[in-house]
Amino acid sequence: MTEHDRSQLGAYALGALEPDEVREVDEHLATCAECRTEVAELEEMKYFLGEVPPEAFLDGPPDGGELLLQRTLREVRQTAVEPAPVQAPPARKRTRTWLLAAAAVLVVAGALGGGVAIGRQTSEPAEVPVAGSKHVNSSDVATGTTMATTVEPRAGWSWVMVQITGLKAGAECQMVVTDKSGKTWIAGSWVVSAKAAQEGSKFGGGVLVPLNQVRSVEIRTLQGEHVVTAKI
Amino acid sequence: MATQVTEFRPRLSPAIAVAGESPIVRTVGDYPGPEAAETLIRSLYAEHGRSLLAYATRLTGDRAAAEDVVQETLVRAWKHAGDLTAGKGSVRGWLLTVARNIVTDRARARAARPAEVADVEIRPPVEGDHSESVVNTMIVMDALDQVSPEHREVLVQLYYRGRSVAEAAKELGVPPGTVKSRSYYALRALRAVMAGTEAEVAR
Repeated sequence: MTEHDRSQLGAYALGALEPDEVREVDEHLATCAECRTEVAELEEMKYFLGEVPPEAFLDGPPDGGELLLQRTLREVRQTAVEPAPVQAPPARKRTRTWLLAAAAVLVVAGALGGGVAIGRQTSEPAEVPVAGSKHVNSSDVATGTTMATTVEPRAGWSWVMVQITGLKAGAECQMVVTDKSGKTWIAGSWVVSAKAAQEGSKFGGGVLVPLNQVRSVEIRTLQGEHVVTAKI
Repeated sequence: MATQVTEFRPRLSPAIAVAGESPIVRTVGDYPGPEAAETLIRSLYAEHGRSLLAYATRLTGDRAAAEDVVQETLVRAWKHAGDLTAGKGSVRGWLLTVARNIVTDRARARAARPAEVADVEIRPPVEGDHSESVVNTMIVMDALDQVSPEHREVLVQLYYRGRSVAEAAKELGVPPGTVKSRSYYALRALRAVMAGTEAEVAR
């Protein structure tokens, strides 16, 4: 495989390449951290795609469904002559559902953008902690940083939010989650702005590890230097 | 790779960001009469019926049970018409999610009472947090609505239909190299839509 031939990586992530092409990509990935990161990001999309069933892409009416349609129409006609059967849910409740939606989207966002602004986005759920979430305060004397960590349970994965003080402006940080089997997961990376260095840096990221399997959350620089760790 | 911090504004699609506004169909109160209700049911059936029935049939493994599920789904759609907002993806996502929940609820009800010999086996979909699944199916369908048709098509071929690059190339009538590069850009585009297009990754 040609150096950094990204065009192969999409089909690779989707499992659509031929075996010999897969081997070529594997060989390249073994030597290229940049492409490994890229593949990991593309593979994350499969998690989202999996939320939609394949039947979602069929169009039109069903074959031989005339009786089904007639039965449905009959039921609706009978109900329609009565007063409105169900009230639409109150707007407030719906708003909260959409907030949850926003949180789900942030799994990707955590890895993509984030930093200070993400913290603001996630500040609302933080005020009303999700049931079962864990909160840990930790500090590191050597690096002079303190960190408040909140891990929220999701369906089979976890949403990790940190608020850190004592970081240096311009530092490139990443959030590394270790599960109980010892495997590590990168939950995103960011650069500390001057403002965040002064007032504290907030960051959020998601990992496909259930909350009860999260052992620790570590902040490292992209150069691999330890910053601060929270044991969950 | 360093990720540049940019001002992050989640840019949910209009259908989601303004849920409740500009609904494709109005609330049940606006459909009091039998004729209006009939119009709604007929249009949902004509556009989404095949998708819904195929999905329900796979989940229940039984055509008759699946038809019941679709009937109930369409009736619920009429009763909750205010929740259905513009955008084909989100309407279908809503319908599919409701269908799945009906199958799950029925399977649970069935499990709670003694088995009957004539019972067909109901295979519930993967268990998970109910409300979160609702949201995710709709969000992803909506995101898929926002990528270009060429990108969506290649994802459907490679991911949902499980085709190889060569098979998809034949199906779509484009060279295999095009399928490969489109699948890469399709995943990147989807990621950008999901994260909000303002978030830029600096390399």
